[in-house]
Amino acid sequence: MGAISAFGQKCDFSIRGKILHQENNDPIVGAYIWVVESATGAVSNENGNFEVKNLCAGNYTLTIQYLGHKEIKDSISLNSNNFNKTYRLEEESMELGGVEIHGHKLAVQTTTSVSALYGEALLEARGESLGESLKRISGVTTFSTGNSISKPVIHGMHSNRIMILNNGIRLEGQQWGAEHAPEIDPFVADEITVIKGAETVRYGPEAMGGVILVNPAPLPTKKDPKTNLYLTGGTNGRMGNISVSHANGSNKIKGLGYQVQASAKRAGNIQSPDYYQGNTGLSELNFSGSLGYSSSKLGIEGYYSYFNTTLGILRDSHTGNLDDLISIIENGRPFSDPGFTYDIVNPKQVVSHHLGKVKSHYHLSDTWKLNFQYGFQANNRQEFDKRRGDLNDRASLDLQLFTNTLDLYLDHNLKNEWSGSFGINAIQQANSNIPGTGVTPLIPNYDMLNLGLYAIEKYSKGPLEIEGGFRYDTRSVNTARFVGSELQEADLRYNNFSAFIGGLYQINPKITFNSNLGTAWRPPNVNELFSEGLHHGAAAVEIGDADLNSENSVKWVNELEYDGGRTHLEITAYANHISDYIYLSPTGETYVSLRGTFNVYEYLQANAFFYGFDFSGSYVFTERISAYAKGSIIRAKNTEEDNYFPFIPSDRMDWGLAYQFGSLSNSKTNKLTISNLLVARQKREPDFDLAPAPPAYAIFNIAYQKQIAIGEDKLNLGIQVQNLFNASYKEYMNRFRYFTDDMGRNILLKINYQF
Amino acid sequence: MKYFKNFYVLSAILFAMTLVSCESEDPVMENDEEVITDVTLRFTELDNSGATIGDPFEFVASDPQGIELGSPTIETVNLTKGKSYRMEILLYNSIADEDITEEVQEESDEHQFYFLGSAFIGSPVLTYTYDDPSGELIGLRGNVVVSQSTGLNNANMRIILRHDLDKSFPGADNPNFQNFVAAGGETDLDITFPLVLN
Repeated sequence: MGAISAFGQKCDFSIRGKILHQENNDPIVGAYIWVVESATGAVSNENGNFEVKNLCAGNYTLTIQYLGHKEIKDSISLNSNNFNKTYRLEEESMELGGVEIHGHKLAVQTTTSVSALYGEALLEARGESLGESLKRISGVTTFSTGNSISKPVIHGMHSNRIMILNNGIRLEGQQWGAEHAPEIDPFVADEITVIKGAETVRYGPEAMGGVILVNPAPLPTKKDPKTNLYLTGGTNGRMGNISVSHANGSNKIKGLGYQVQASAKRAGNIQSPDYYQGNTGLSELNFSGSLGYSSSKLGIEGYYSYFNTTLGILRDSHTGNLDDLISIIENGRPFSDPGFTYDIVNPKQVVSHHLGKVKSHYHLSDTWKLNFQYGFQANNRQEFDKRRGDLNDRASLDLQLFTNTLDLYLDHNLKNEWSGSFGINAIQQANSNIPGTGVTPLIPNYDMLNLGLYAIEKYSKGPLEIEGGFRYDTRSVNTARFVGSELQEADLRYNNFSAFIGGLYQINPKITFNSNLGTAWRPPNVNELFSEGLHHGAAAVEIGDADLNSENSVKWVNELEYDGGRTHLEITAYANHISDYIYLSPTGETYVSLRGTFNVYEYLQANAFFYGFDFSGSYVFTERISAYAKGSIIRAKNTEEDNYFPFIPSDRMDWGLAYQFGSLSNSKTNKLTISNLLVARQKREPDFDLAPAPPAYAIFNIAYQKQIAIGEDKLNLGIQVQNLFNASYKEYMNRFRYFTDDMGRNILLKINYQF
Repeated sequence: MKYFKNFYVLSAILFAMTLVSCESEDPVMENDEEVITDVTLRFTELDNSGATIGDPFEFVASDPQGIELGSPTIETVNLTKGKSYRMEILLYNSIADEDITEEVQEESDEHQFYFLGSAFIGSPVLTYTYDDPSGELIGLRGNVVVSQSTGLNNANMRIILRHDLDKSFPGADNPNFQNFVAAGGETDLDITFPLVLN
């Protein structure tokens, strides 16, 4: 050191850099960087960044070490203050005894705004549907049909404008329907991640508003039995929910692991403060299992999940004609109050979903990895209406949807700043109406084939990450249906190019900024093209348009994150322009039949502009008291007609105070949270709605969460009271606001035992 | 890079094979079995003792397309002041060639007709009483008395068939129950026949 200083140079240079996992590009926290010559060092921070200060110009040898990873030695020449280099650490091969092998975890590779639900927050959400759980993330709301059917909404977009990935496979159900909930058991997830940017390039068409990733825990790679038992009970609807999961690995065959999981749920009629909602029970039975093997070069995993639900639909929501509909809207609540029962009668839905997948990757070299993923899905949706005689036992909508998805992609994490992925993606789909419904099918039978090619490249250097990519898709859709005795056929083709560019910059250790500009597209769905028939819930005849174009959007998302010890703050702002946005519009005409009168709606296209922001923040006052607040504001306009679209979430905010019993340092949760949800009235209403937007409301909730250690095991206890004051309210985003109040008070007990 | 290409080709072939095995079914013609396309009001004159006299005569409302298209064709009902009639309602689905009357009869506990419109409400020109052979209140058969003294020559007969209602709801036993929606259920038919009195 003395020798170097003797040159008399300035010695205020720094070596900056970033440490990432070779495997998945995740930042490595706590890697040790040692400068041999100066005998000084640094430890990488949460973002993998490090800085070794007070160095003179000269040549240095760096060693980078992290437990279980191969050491890197690098000789560098430091002659300015701009030195910044990215290092990727490779896990040591499993042949070395005693080294823990990590599963080949796939991290979310994006520079855009990402929020995740995991750990304690996910524990508190257990027992809720996927849509309900995701409401805990700012900027995510739900579009629901009663209290048991809820679809996630990201930045005002839902259904086919967002994408849900179940363990890496895009969920292909009948997502077009407003009353079609995602066919997924949230208990499969160890982590639920929401990407708020347009991610068509990476995940394929339709990911306009965002992407939801439902990911199970990585499979164990050695013998380490873990069992998780969840028991949840709720007073409202007298809901009971059980889930068990078990994971273990093998000592005989290193790298072999499995996981099995099953859950069951049963609930009866939901209670609004003044009455029971007739026929709103549900029953659910789910199962999933996976088996995987991973070695240093190869990883292979098989996964299967089964989802099965029977959902009762509020009896009074099925109206015979427009007069019936007007009568119940005027009444403001159901005419019937049948009290409590677990029985589910018509109208109801019976939905099952099978998903099987095989995933494999092979490390061609240190830096190149070949990935293969194949998924098969079978979705069966049956909707039963109240009908006469033996028709009552037959579904009036009976759809079988098969989907094959194939992904082949080549990842590279070069030793320098570059990483990326090139791939092809194929989706093939076959939809059939199962004959015997006694109803002209609402949507035709169809075959769809989508082929996509994409490339994504990322540059990471110190605090800066820049990412860009593009994709080309071609899709063909062939449809056929009998209307009466006439066979209607159509062959349609859609092509599209999409691209994105994004960046992330860590301004200082506390502040990170990211920005992403991406295009996305969505071909019109078959229901938008070919719907023709009566929609019972809305006493409406919906008419599709076979000449609709694809929707194209450009979304710009910016996020600023501040993490300053006591204060944590995240603000996301976005703007999304969509050309040819498809929406259902009332024609103002009515159909008159022997059954009465019906409103007529048609699918139209117009340019749309969505913008808004989400925020979420927390502040720790003392060791015991902390507070949080989160909220979102969305504006969505039809820029051609200069009016508003229906079912856009109103402004809302959720804030709360938490008190921690006992000290934080013992790290066991023992926390009481009081929170308050404030939802504004939606003042930006469409020109036509069946009923005006309901008034603003406020809901109070209390939650108590405690963790108890029993030897090596963990017991998590949660008690929650939702809608503490049993307030009567209607949520604008609930389609059943026309017919009923929302759910009244609900007291939940949530037990989780980990052993 | 050569073996990548082989891998891609092989995968493409494998994938193509799965595609072949997964095609949508050919569409099948589906009859709309739920729809009622023809509603017939069959009147037979009654004498003072309640026995039928003369030949029955009918008035039809029909909508062969069901709900999808077009307005229904509804005939004008002609009745004579001061007379009593038996009124039977016949329901038919011409799309699936099914007699719906029977189905409604079988589910008598879930169906009921209501008779509204200016003919039955306000200062009624028609007085309706249920007279179903089973004794239940359905309205597939009933008696209609035409007022003798009315000065009106025209009125409307609005005939509503409710399905899945609560028949024991207070007031639901009244054939002219205007607040029928309160008894729950949904409307299967809602037809207004013009009425001309001679």
